[in-house]
Amino acid sequence: MSIQPVETAPATTAVLKPKRGRGRIFGGRPMWLIWPSVVLLVVIIGIPLLIAIYISFLSLDQYTLHSWISAPWVGLSNYVTALTAGNVIGASALLSLGVSLAFSLLTTLLIMPIGILAALTVNTSYRGRVLVRTLYLVPYVIPTFVTALVWRMMFLNGTGLVDRFLAAIHVADINTYWLLGPNSFWAMVIADVWASWAFIYIMVLAGLQSISHDVYEAADMDGANGWQKLTQIVLPQLRHILALALLLSTLNHFNNFTLPFVMFGTPPPIQADVLPLNIYVSSFQLFNFGLGGAMSVITLIIMLIPGFLYIRALRLGEVVAS
Amino acid sequence: MRKRKRDAQEILPPPVRAVAIAILAILVLIPIAYTLLLSVTPDTQVGSGSLIPSAWAFDNYLQMWSTVNLAQGLANSLIISGIASVIAVILAVGAAYIITRFAFRGRLPYLYSLIGLQTVPSVMLLLPLFVLFASIQAALHFRLVGTYPAVIITYLTFALPFATWLMVSYLGSIPMDLEEAALVDGSTRVQALWRVIVPLALPGMVVALVFSFLTGWNDVLFASVLTSQETRTLAVQLQAFSAAQEGGALPLYGQLMGAAVVSALPVVILYMVFQRYLIGGLTAGGVKG
Repeated sequence: MSIQPVETAPATTAVLKPKRGRGRIFGGRPMWLIWPSVVLLVVIIGIPLLIAIYISFLSLDQYTLHSWISAPWVGLSNYVTALTAGNVIGASALLSLGVSLAFSLLTTLLIMPIGILAALTVNTSYRGRVLVRTLYLVPYVIPTFVTALVWRMMFLNGTGLVDRFLAAIHVADINTYWLLGPNSFWAMVIADVWASWAFIYIMVLAGLQSISHDVYEAADMDGANGWQKLTQIVLPQLRHILALALLLSTLNHFNNFTLPFVMFGTPPPIQADVLPLNIYVSSFQLFNFGLGGAMSVITLIIMLIPGFLYIRALRLGEVVAS
Repeated sequence: MRKRKRDAQEILPPPVRAVAIAILAILVLIPIAYTLLLSVTPDTQVGSGSLIPSAWAFDNYLQMWSTVNLAQGLANSLIISGIASVIAVILAVGAAYIITRFAFRGRLPYLYSLIGLQTVPSVMLLLPLFVLFASIQAALHFRLVGTYPAVIITYLTFALPFATWLMVSYLGSIPMDLEEAALVDGSTRVQALWRVIVPLALPGMVVALVFSFLTGWNDVLFASVLTSQETRTLAVQLQAFSAAQEGGALPLYGQLMGAAVVSALPVVILYMVFQRYLIGGLTAGGVKG
């Protein structure tokens, strides 16, 4: 997803400290204002999550769909299938998990230095800085389905720009396949890096603006050069924001469905068969809903690890306790 | 020592900076330029030897409207994303008001669950929602899958938590003194919310609205399963158009890229116009961790 706003902690601690009692002094507490949200969230997210877990234990296809409550209970067999065989045209969930992990970690590692470098190029003012800043955001704000179409054309076998370029500089044959076979993983990584590095750039830029000017001047007094400033002032000061960016980026990339789906179509090459895509194909193209459910639950369990880290990083609890 | 007056914040020396900007700019621009070039290349010449076509085919931008039902896709995307984001923002303001103004049991779990929802893969919600819709259809004998409400409801699964989160941080930064003045004057809580808070929170509401809208606009997953021929969103139409080019006699790549440009342009312009406000939303609170 190209537009991935950073939904991080509320800006002020005041958010988390409503003053007790005031509601009683002035008028009532119009709690009904929150009920529509609560009810809606329970109905469209809470209950469906439970149903997804239930489905993962059923043998459910398009014929038994209408009476899914009475579909045959098959225990853990969907999980066994998911982890060993997968669906008939795709990879097993285990293999997809490997692809997804490799994809999300690799892209995150690649966009980190690019984003930091880009932020450093617009940290001081000069003529045309606004233009540069705007330009940096363009790939990030282009809808993912468009990014995927653009890179599909870039990687088109024989006639795409990538093959033309590689043939022109005699690195690869003009007939190199990027949308099929092992190269597809790299095609996906390149397209994703192109689209998402600005996420790190935005985070780092915001972090840079919070570093006091005095710190830089003190460093200047001590005769620090640019590299020393970067490694001894900027990066240490940014370590929290970088950790948060790393976590969110990994999460977002792990859940990226649109890019591989539009870029490769279905069924995707095994090397680009990320977990969300595998679940989609199993559920909505092969109509093996039980298998899709089992794969979803596996994904959710894995996502609990970064999710837990994220919630801890926000430290909502500590703020409230103070 | 050189005499150049340098900014203490400067980390990259200007020559290095210029090279870095140039490289990044080229990498950003090449795929975009290639897309624009293809969009005015006649379909017959996309696969040909030379990159620059012998004639420009600006009528790709006219023909594509009849090749794919783009107008309908645009309208559907506008309706579905528009309604979902408006509902999300209205509900979010009410919820955020309560969360930021009152202490009540379940407040923290509510905030935690909003964050936790970010980690739930969308496809995991699509599956049970689809099963639910299908069984409701079978039980009550009316169509749900393929209608606007079905898609709007699923878009709320990401729009509502996100809008609430943004509004919580926005309303939290509005001092309570302002509404207390209104309360002392005898207005009710809801009147104070409507007359004092909502006008102040309007910029935040716009950011939440724009983000929810754009997330809906960009969605392919939910719409590809839950829309029908008539309710297909732009994203799904484009995806289907692209998939149909495989194995066709003459792939209409020129028109495909024209349609891609038309789908991306409003979004890019929207971002550029509101850049200042949206960047704030992109990192809402992330700085003060």
